[in-house]
Amino acid sequence: MRTMLKSAVAALAGLVLATAAPASDWTPPGPVKLMIAFAAGGGADTQARLIAEDLEAKLGWSFIPEQVTGKGGMNLAMAIKDMPNDGSVIGMVVTETLGYNMRVADAGVTPDDFTAITTTAGFQMGVVSLASKGWTTFADVVEAAKSGEALRFGTMSPRLSDLAYLLGKANGVEFNIVQVKGGRAVMNGVNAGDMDLGFMAGIQGKGVAAGDLVNLASALSEPLKQTPEAPTFADLGVEFVADGYFTFIGPAGMPTEARDALAAAIAEAVSTEGMKSHGIIAKAFGGPAVIAGDELQALVAADFEAAGALLEAASE
Amino acid sequence: MGALDYIWLGIAAVFQGPELFSVAGVGISVTLVMILAGFLLGIVVGATPGLAGPMAMAISLPVLISIFGFTPDALLPVMGFLIGVMKGATIGGAVPAILFNTPGTPDAYMTTLDGHPMAQAGQAKKALKIAHVSSAAGDTFSDIVLILCAPFLAILVEAYLDLPEKTALLILSLAFIAAVIGGSVGKGIISMGLGLLAAYVATGEDFYPRLSLGSQTLAQGFPIATAILGVLILGEVFKSLEDLWRDHRSAGPRAEPGQSGDQALRWTDIRRIAPYIGRSAVIGTVIGALPGIGSTLAATLGYTAGSRRHARRRPGSTPFGKGAPEGIAATEAANSSVSGANLIPVLSLGIPGNAAAVFLILAAESIGGFNPGPSVFRFTADTVNPELVVAFGLFTAMMVANLLNWTIGGAFMRVVGVMIRVPKHILLPIVLTLTLTAIYVQEARISAMWFAIGFGILGYLMRRLGISHLPFVIAFILGGKLEDTARQAFAATGGDAWFLVTSPIAAVFMALAVAVVALSLRKPQEVKA
Amino acid sequence: MTARTAIARTNLYLALGCIAFALMLAFLWIPLDTNSGLIEKVRRQVTIGDALAPTLAAFMIGLGGVLVLFQGRGAAQDGIGGRNLGFLARLLAGIAIAFALMRWTGPGVVWLAGLVSDQELTYRALRDTAPWKYLGFLTGGSFLIAALIAAVEGRVTGRTVVIAVCAVLVLIALYDLPFDDLLLPPNGDV
Repeated sequence: MRTMLKSAVAALAGLVLATAAPASDWTPPGPVKLMIAFAAGGGADTQARLIAEDLEAKLGWSFIPEQVTGKGGMNLAMAIKDMPNDGSVIGMVVTETLGYNMRVADAGVTPDDFTAITTTAGFQMGVVSLASKGWTTFADVVEAAKSGEALRFGTMSPRLSDLAYLLGKANGVEFNIVQVKGGRAVMNGVNAGDMDLGFMAGIQGKGVAAGDLVNLASALSEPLKQTPEAPTFADLGVEFVADGYFTFIGPAGMPTEARDALAAAIAEAVSTEGMKSHGIIAKAFGGPAVIAGDELQALVAADFEAAGALLEAASE
Repeated sequence: MGALDYIWLGIAAVFQGPELFSVAGVGISVTLVMILAGFLLGIVVGATPGLAGPMAMAISLPVLISIFGFTPDALLPVMGFLIGVMKGATIGGAVPAILFNTPGTPDAYMTTLDGHPMAQAGQAKKALKIAHVSSAAGDTFSDIVLILCAPFLAILVEAYLDLPEKTALLILSLAFIAAVIGGSVGKGIISMGLGLLAAYVATGEDFYPRLSLGSQTLAQGFPIATAILGVLILGEVFKSLEDLWRDHRSAGPRAEPGQSGDQALRWTDIRRIAPYIGRSAVIGTVIGALPGIGSTLAATLGYTAGSRRHARRRPGSTPFGKGAPEGIAATEAANSSVSGANLIPVLSLGIPGNAAAVFLILAAESIGGFNPGPSVFRFTADTVNPELVVAFGLFTAMMVANLLNWTIGGAFMRVVGVMIRVPKHILLPIVLTLTLTAIYVQEARISAMWFAIGFGILGYLMRRLGISHLPFVIAFILGGKLEDTARQAFAATGGDAWFLVTSPIAAVFMALAVAVVALSLRKPQEVKA
Repeated sequence: MTARTAIARTNLYLALGCIAFALMLAFLWIPLDTNSGLIEKVRRQVTIGDALAPTLAAFMIGLGGVLVLFQGRGAAQDGIGGRNLGFLARLLAGIAIAFALMRWTGPGVVWLAGLVSDQELTYRALRDTAPWKYLGFLTGGSFLIAALIAAVEGRVTGRTVVIAVCAVLVLIALYDLPFDDLLLPPNGDV
């Protein structure tokens, strides 16, 4: 009872905080430059632009979206690093940018050089193949590989390539890992038969629902929402996962007031039924997942630290 | 979802798309309005010496994208507009060629040979009508070939070509373009090499942006618009400005010759020019389907073929070069029938063949949601493949543009003769500023404008040194794709170093690539001292 | 000297220049400025490194140079001489002045306005506010157009300036007025 009460109070406090924050005095000093690390027209880009539209409509802030793509978000990170930290420049990347990618890039920056603002949604990262392949679960893939078939595994980032390698290794098979640019390229490759299976981070939803594609496994620490019966990476003997989030960042040293006001405004937009950004997040990214402020800063710092273990495991 | 369903969806996407306004209760879709606007703009631009279709496309693209946004709904209005410009510019180019002996676009040069003599003989209107009919006929024929061929070619490619073969096909296309365009194979290959190099700056798989000299300015590479607009448009602007600067604008106002006689285009005239149109349309379509050769060569070949036939069959009538209507027909049908067929490699392979196609790819890439290439033509059974709907929407847009061409094109063409009076030395600086602004609103940094200036100087030097700039542009566009496909093919074959020759199809493509270069080395060089 | 030998000489310089550039690329720039070699071993798999594609591009440039060298005669052209370089130098100088005007007119005027009105004004906060946001583009853009027209005409006239300013105003109307998200130069840089 006590714990229940406690959590109820905490939830209420959270609610008050969430509604109070946008009402705080902070407003951006002029228009906000919104850098987007994703190719124009894709799901992630649309998400960022719709969040900006929602905030413009609701709060009257003005956003100027701009594409800064490439290098797994590192181009955006390096560009935003030295910009004014007064809340007039923010960028949307994935947590992987500040974690694994920043670690491997070795470009002289760490997550401490950035202000983590808030996440918006996670990925529904599955291992996917065409239904016409006849595989229904990952065990079928292992069987096919063991019978001598050379299998091509499509991935869209070095971290996912590492994970694909470890997935094979844990199951005693070797994949030909084909790394491409972006989830759509994996889906096109799988559809065209250029790849046998591959990672898809939510883009597979429609195809799976229609029965053209199959989620063979969840690359997350928890089962996929769409295919809960598919085994997770832990079930398949891999101790690393592809969990990650879309996240807003700014340059280091952003005033807490600005950070929290931005975080609260974004969180409210993506979590509120009827908002445009909520719509696309519910449709394509398995619903909102909000982690903000210090908690998020700690999460990306931990990802950055943990990247070493994955690198080491995959380089054996 | 059968093929017919898709065709129907494509047509519906054009006609029943978002409405702009309605006339008597019938909604007029925004795509239709955009096709019309593009078509009219294209005629004006084509009729203006110093401007050309690609310039209008380059300048309007950022405006269009801002209007329609980065959603798949934007694809048809934006690309419809570009297709309209492409078709309008093709017929517009003939206007100043006929009236003032100045080709509005490079491929209309041959039109001056017979068009202007006709105008001087007081038959300007008739010459324009002949140019219009021939152009519209060639264009329509070419589009029909495109619509019939592209889907099948794409399906064949997707069914038979694996990653190694796709890599080999890209190499073949580049070899072909480098070897065939321009006077010298060596120069074509230099142009291609430079285009590839520019495409490889700051790209690649490593997190360190290669060849960026450690500078943050270069870390995002050269934006595609800066390289293409720089080499294609600024290079031309710089060259023309220098020419004008040297000549201090010697050309005075031009006089339009007085007109007389029967200007109507009679059925007998059409019967007379029909064989020339037909022959040239086939020539232009075949040339157009090969990436990179372009409409100027098609016009030359069409004219030459027509000229031979004319001298043989009709020795008594006005010879080519002296004001023969057949000459206009042969030229205009040939250069107009390139544009549709040029989209065959674009839509089925993702390989652009000329500047107009380059801008369609640029539009698709900027907006997203449509990746020209064989994956477009996946006829899915249960779900709708939105890219295929867009493809059939584009086909519909082309046919709508053709309809406009047949109905109002001719009349509009006859009123844009005034564009010749815009002095080039005023137009070019404005085009320069316009292009730089178009780049800035897309990239939002001054360094991008400097990149464009740099590529403009490269384009200028290439023009002065007799190096064709088209291999550069196409290599820049295909460079990233070539590297990606090669990497994937190499990884997919488990690190087979011979992946380009182990499969028979890939080996044939590679052999053809070598053969094309070797054969071009032997062709006589154009020496014009 | 006939035109023909001039062309041959231009081609010779072009060929040698391309070969030298290709060698510099392949043996200096690419090895020093890429992070992975031609091929690499990652995750027990041999993969293509970041240096391979640029090296092949360098090879193409060099090969083209060699072909031009041995083929000698190319298409008709006029070559590049001192006069061309002089033109380019003037052109670049004009563009540099225009870009500097674009970049600094706005911040300069805002600074002056701040001085006069005793308020703390920054251009950055005003970069999306009329009329401040048009200052740089209007001056720089008009200068660029007017300078180029004047260079061809050999004189500066009032008409030239009017044309230039009108053209820039049309550009503003075209790219800025209808759109919230587009920034005119230099407003994305400040």
